[in-house]
Amino acid sequence: MKPPRFDYADPRTLGEAVALLQQHEGEAKLLSGGQSLVPLLNMRLARPAILVDLAKVAGLDHVREDGATLAIGAMTRQRSVELSPVVKARHPMLHAATLHIAHPQNRNQGTVGGSLAHADPAAELPALALVLGAEMRAVGPGGERTIGAAEFFVTYLTTALEPSEILIEARFPTLPPRTGWSVTEVARRHGDFALAGVMATVTLDDRGRCATARLVLFGVGATPVRAPRAEQMLAGERPEAALFERAGRTAAEEIDEPLSDVHASAEYRRDLARVLGRRALAEAAARAA
Amino acid sequence: MAADVPRTIAELPTSAPRFVGRPVARVEDPMLLTGRAEFIDNLSLPRMLHCAILRSPHAHARVVAVDTAAAERLPGVVAVVTGEDAKRWTQPTPTVPPGWGAHCLASDKVRFVGEPVAAVAAVSRYVAEDALELIGVDYEPLPPVVDAAKALEPASPLVFDERGSNVMLQRVFTWGEVDAAFAAADHVFTERFRWHRLGANPLETFGVISQWDPVDGSLTCHGSFQSQFHMGLARAAVLGLPSHKVRMVSQPHGGSFGGKGGARGTDITALLSRKSGGRPVKWIEDRMEYLAGGASQAWDRHYEVSLAVRRDGTVTGLRVKLLDDLGATAEGWGAVSAAKPLAAFTGCYAIPAAQYDLTIVATNKLPGSPYRGMGPPPHNFVLEQMMDIAARELGLDPAEMRRRNYIPKDRFPYTIASGNEYDSGDYEAALETVLTMGDYTKLRAEQAEARKRGRWLGIGLVNTIEPGVFDWNAYAIVGQPGTGVPEGATVAIDLFGKIVVKVGFALEGQGQYTVVSQVLADYFGVDLGDVRVVPQDSLSAPPHFGPGGSRLGVAITGAVLGAADRLRQKLVAVAARLLQTTPDAVELMDGKLRIRGVPGAEMPLAQVSAVMLARSDLLPPDVDPNPEATYVWTAPGRTTADDQGRAKSYLTAANACHLVLVEVDVETGKVEILRYWIADDCGTRLNPATVEGMIQGGVAQGVGAALLEEYVYDDDGQLLTSTFMDYLLPSVYEVPMTEKKALCTPSPFTPLGAKGVGESAMHTTPAAIMCAINDALVPLGVRATAVPASPHRLWKLVQGARKA
Amino acid sequence: MPASRHITVTVNEQPYEAVVEPRTTLVDFLRGELGLTGTHVGCEHGVCGACTILWNGRAVRSCIMLAVQADGGTIMTVEGLGREGALHPIQQAFLEEHGLQCGFCTPGFLMSIYELLERSPDPSDEEIRDTLGGQICRCTGYQAIVAAVRSAAAKLRTGAGGYG
Repeated sequence: MKPPRFDYADPRTLGEAVALLQQHEGEAKLLSGGQSLVPLLNMRLARPAILVDLAKVAGLDHVREDGATLAIGAMTRQRSVELSPVVKARHPMLHAATLHIAHPQNRNQGTVGGSLAHADPAAELPALALVLGAEMRAVGPGGERTIGAAEFFVTYLTTALEPSEILIEARFPTLPPRTGWSVTEVARRHGDFALAGVMATVTLDDRGRCATARLVLFGVGATPVRAPRAEQMLAGERPEAALFERAGRTAAEEIDEPLSDVHASAEYRRDLARVLGRRALAEAAARAA
Repeated sequence: MAADVPRTIAELPTSAPRFVGRPVARVEDPMLLTGRAEFIDNLSLPRMLHCAILRSPHAHARVVAVDTAAAERLPGVVAVVTGEDAKRWTQPTPTVPPGWGAHCLASDKVRFVGEPVAAVAAVSRYVAEDALELIGVDYEPLPPVVDAAKALEPASPLVFDERGSNVMLQRVFTWGEVDAAFAAADHVFTERFRWHRLGANPLETFGVISQWDPVDGSLTCHGSFQSQFHMGLARAAVLGLPSHKVRMVSQPHGGSFGGKGGARGTDITALLSRKSGGRPVKWIEDRMEYLAGGASQAWDRHYEVSLAVRRDGTVTGLRVKLLDDLGATAEGWGAVSAAKPLAAFTGCYAIPAAQYDLTIVATNKLPGSPYRGMGPPPHNFVLEQMMDIAARELGLDPAEMRRRNYIPKDRFPYTIASGNEYDSGDYEAALETVLTMGDYTKLRAEQAEARKRGRWLGIGLVNTIEPGVFDWNAYAIVGQPGTGVPEGATVAIDLFGKIVVKVGFALEGQGQYTVVSQVLADYFGVDLGDVRVVPQDSLSAPPHFGPGGSRLGVAITGAVLGAADRLRQKLVAVAARLLQTTPDAVELMDGKLRIRGVPGAEMPLAQVSAVMLARSDLLPPDVDPNPEATYVWTAPGRTTADDQGRAKSYLTAANACHLVLVEVDVETGKVEILRYWIADDCGTRLNPATVEGMIQGGVAQGVGAALLEEYVYDDDGQLLTSTFMDYLLPSVYEVPMTEKKALCTPSPFTPLGAKGVGESAMHTTPAAIMCAINDALVPLGVRATAVPASPHRLWKLVQGARKA
Repeated sequence: MPASRHITVTVNEQPYEAVVEPRTTLVDFLRGELGLTGTHVGCEHGVCGACTILWNGRAVRSCIMLAVQADGGTIMTVEGLGREGALHPIQQAFLEEHGLQCGFCTPGFLMSIYELLERSPDPSDEEIRDTLGGQICRCTGYQAIVAAVRSAAAKLRTGAGGYG
């Protein structure tokens, strides 16, 4: 399992990096942490003409609070996010999500940007970005633009990034007050990709009723799936088991075509989404109280 | 010269054993811990080339043409071989059952995805893989047969056209009055089971460096060989070489668990070495090659099992019908897994009548190979599950059901219906031990309480025989010839009293060098560090097999003790002369040769060996002046199998009783193992720490078998679980920490009373977990009969119950 | 023909310079070019952890890193763990607790545990499991390894079981 031949560049600036992507028009691949890319190279399933390594480009590795937003540079190692005191204290949902990402040995190398740009539908960070409504900053030949999470994940392993665009930062909003969260998944083993997972937030009003909820299912479709009908069921309602049961059922129906593979059939995934939807909403509501 | 092998530790010539029976640290470990072990991929030879193998993408196809011209021209490529080379220079590999082998490189047709079709030797593995992409193969796909039942149909595609059928073996073995037992039974319980493919997956895959000598026509292979001698014999047969021209050198290897075959890789690299003028050619099997094409898959089984039971719970008959899907050929020696169950067919129970209706069938999937346990793990699962089914129907607690059927402890050695003899055991004691450890009554109460609160706890209580010290006759029913598996050792004492032991196997992980050092250090009264074990190649070592079938701890102990005794006799003869007495007055004790009953009349070992080596003038004329002796141990009392396969085969019958508490999340199908208790009886424990390691390792693989590990093929014979993303090995999160207690019924037949323990808990854990899951699901009226009990399978089962 | 790259890397406190193809993986570079064969290859897709080394102090899978990515960095492998003939306390703990059987996965475990204990000298059970969860052992069933980690942590904290 040895990679095929390819060329390698380690630009020092974003401009150089973009230029290289343009120059090699679709034959170039960006290298960040390599946890997804290098296995594909070893299996000869990826055959780029050139690898553009972002490791030496400055300004892409940071965890910064910017008002009520947490700005994470694309080349920030997942482990840095996990161990960041700022994240642990004020962004516990993000912290919890990172704990599910593979194993520490992968998180030491894998990057936040790499995971988002790779867009594996069973990955935690894309789902988190969608549930929190994160914004992705990208740089390309036409300059800089911001892409919202809802538009960012297009389909299986595909984002809205153009071939010569580079994701440079992800910006996560902080959860509003009286908001509880849940990161719940079922995987074959600890650290494996989720067979199905749910990320949920529930915000309570001052009477203790659900004001808003956000619900994202992952591992079930070609991208993380938002479940707006289920979310709307919670608005104004008292948080209780029967409500979460109904919402879970509804969320499961909002998956178009659940994935099917050796580990789980489409039917099973849909039912997992129902069960986990219920459990996640219950947990989030309990945390909010 | 006859040799006396001590039956117990007390018989060792030491007043107080310092090492045997103690959990001493392993002598192998410093080398392994510092990364200095010479695993095969750490070995380089001058002018060595690297091999990559091109493999079939089709499960079944004719090979119309192979074009290697472009590959041969790639800079860095030195030699390319194809099926034509294999046909010209090799025979199809010998198999058991005979006649179901193929050439190492497919020539006329390919029979499974992953089958080697061509191979390249180049200056690096990277370049060799580049060259593979330049080889053009014209295939004419044929319809594959992937399902065992379909393979039996008359219109099925044939894996071997010339055989006329896909049936490799079809026989019914009947022991005792089976029909009568079933006719007279108060109850007959029947169930079908499905055990899916899984396999060894040692962390190190197979590797080999083959070197052909063009001048004398000999072959030398270094590799991760589990059994170098038999590997060598088979290579001689396949490559058409005289047996003494093949030398196999076993490197320390990173585990095997039966899964370090490598025959094709060895033959292919031998051909490449020949074609490149005798340069050494190295092939390291990568993980994807291992999963799809290696000695990686075992036990693809369809069972139908019946138990004949009296109303008081006594089991009077056992019928096992097994359809065993061995895959495309019998080259992996996987058929023996269907035979080994005979060694403990009826488990711990005194069931007088049994029947084995065995069909081994070929399909277009990877040829099956041995895996730890060699067949009993699925067999024990179905037997123990049937005991639970019977218990529930009769309203008996599973513990009581077993108690009523145990072979009583005063009936040993006990010959079971299928012919093997159990050496010793006390199953009642093991059961009581584990029930006490787990506070069984409280556990059942906890379970009842939990059920009321909607938690599905399950308790598994199983016991099995874990046969040890295999013999060829155990596999007679699938055509394996021979009786007696030798293990030889040469023990020598040098001028300074240091001991060197020559053996025919390399390190594999079970700690045999340490056991050897412990035994000889106590025997000769030296320090552990004064003993050095030196592995020999296949031509230099005395007759040997090496590790396998839970034999080596016992066999090598027998070998070194036998050699030690022969050596002792020589030393005694010399010491007697030097002490001016007769040999019968001299004994070895605590490292000294001394006149019995005469204090002070003694000489240290080193002095005697120094005289033998450097003072020929002082030696008696009839003594060989060489302080060295060799002994080849084989299991005593083995017999030839009769026409129903009955034989005294596996020498020892360790037994274990496992109690496990699980929780099933019926909404998701996930299973969590909450507590796990083990009462294990493997006779004398030569090193209790390494024994516990074997047990816990067996538990881990058992958990993998029950919950995680499965090779999945689609209807076209494509392997869907082709990487570690999909073939799931248990991590620390999935393997329970177990509480273990040791019992000891020593073997009356083995050196020091030890029983084989290498395969250990793998025989038992899958049954324990599956029985626990089914115990949890009783209120739902469903039964998990397919292994592994993946979340998806359990979810479907529960869904089915809820819809009904 | 893609250009080879000149890289410098410090391994076990020793500087090395080499010219490598971009496609050469870090583990192949360490084992082949530098002859440091203590790090092993188990899967080549980043799952089993046999190839784990420390790169700039972090435990990473060297089978899914390219040698060129290591340029300018510092690496530690199992060969850097002991001193001339003496075992590091983590190795000593493994020896005493029987934390290995075939030894093939062991170097990877040692490096992951080294990082854990550097960062967290008194690790909780959860931290231990989290670290070990990324390393596969097929032989031991992990129980003895967990014991070895606890023992190693104690040795390092008290300064007992040091070199020599």
